[in-house]
Amino acid sequence: MTTEAARSRFAEIVLPYLDDAYTLARWMTGSTADAEDVVQDACMRALRALETTAVERPRAWVLTIVRNTALTWMAKNRPANVTSTEGVDGPLELPELTDPAPSAEQNIIARAEQGAVRAAIAALPQAFREAIVMREINGLSYREIADAGGIPIGTVMSRLARARMMLMNALGRPA
Amino acid sequence: MIARDLGPTDDLLMLQALLDGELDASGAIDMERRIAADPRLAAEYARLRALRGAIQGGAMREVAPESLRARIAAATGVAAAANSNVVKFPDTAARPAVPSVRRWRAAAGAMAAAVVALLGVNVYLVTDWGSDDIERAAVAAHSRGLISGQPVDVVSTDRHTVKPWLAGKVPLATTVVDLATDGYALSGGRVDVIGDVPVPTLVYRHREHFISLTELAGGSSRVSSPTRETVSGHAVVTWSDNVRRYVAVSDMSPPELDDFVATFRRAAASEREDSPPKAK
Repeated sequence: MTTEAARSRFAEIVLPYLDDAYTLARWMTGSTADAEDVVQDACMRALRALETTAVERPRAWVLTIVRNTALTWMAKNRPANVTSTEGVDGPLELPELTDPAPSAEQNIIARAEQGAVRAAIAALPQAFREAIVMREINGLSYREIADAGGIPIGTVMSRLARARMMLMNALGRPA
Repeated sequence: MIARDLGPTDDLLMLQALLDGELDASGAIDMERRIAADPRLAAEYARLRALRGAIQGGAMREVAPESLRARIAAATGVAAAANSNVVKFPDTAARPAVPSVRRWRAAAGAMAAAVVALLGVNVYLVTDWGSDDIERAAVAAHSRGLISGQPVDVVSTDRHTVKPWLAGKVPLATTVVDLATDGYALSGGRVDVIGDVPVPTLVYRHREHFISLTELAGGSSRVSSPTRETVSGHAVVTWSDNVRRYVAVSDMSPPELDDFVATFRRAAASEREDSPPKAK
């Protein structure tokens, strides 16, 4: 039973962010077909929620639902691909800043092939991939990412830092 | 967020926070100064920026397929066409790190500038906007100033008045030079909002013409020569100096604006050279 009001809010709040929703689902599931299923599920959840919920930041709200739907959906349908986030947030051991890297490395990163960048992001562990996609591709703020995942901002920052270190290591080496 | 005596790990987190536009004005200035003073931080920041460029240049955004839109329309009873009345900025794929909500707020104009500046929060570098958007926003701000008859928020021909006024409102140290002897009298300054960022704009006057000169952080290169375009009938010249990006807008003839730009750059360069730290 869906009211007209909820449908009209859905058109206003969810539909403008379908590309964002699909992008996040695509990166989280690793498959276009799975992403479509996840986004459709997420849309049904959103529509139900809009009967009663007021939404302040639509993009973050929609993406939070997509993220949670994706995790549930994968646990049910792709259990082999689900990795636990237990323990991923151990003490942050980032390398100390070294002497100025030869600018060659920066240039190699900047010139990385599109395919290499995609592969490097796809290879990140789930929690890190999710954080970097929500930040760099969906454009969410730290606070919004923290809210979406139910984690503290400090955890968002350290996950992003690790994700970026892993990506820079993967892309920064000469081929 | 304001931490002193940062260790190496904190440094990396703070560099990221600067990159992600998550620092407030004082934090951002602090970090920019430290980057300027520490080659290790500068190198790390350059790598982070290179990574961002690689990700954002790589077309990582997907477009929801029509088949999905159709499925959702069928399942929800909401026609997918309903989003056609949603005004979206073009080319979101090219700079995904700025949510469209923020761009909307940019349209709120001078009021937002005042509010953002007063609160001093969420001051972002305008690195995610395309240069076309920046030029259009600069032209819009210039035109609005002329239409309202108030091209400046602070009226003064004295750069020692304009500069501190701007310093209290934007996180950049604005380059303000006196060009009166060259025929360009300083009229004052104002704060514009470009990409949700309050940015300093100087207004110079040349005969009956006004020139709006906006200074932005994070130019793509340290130095780039001026390029001229015409946007909505206004001459627009953009260039970079000293890792700042400048946009000059005027209804003067384009060659005259070129002359103004050359004059300004000369004066700014000579001021940079002979400005030892003053013990006042």
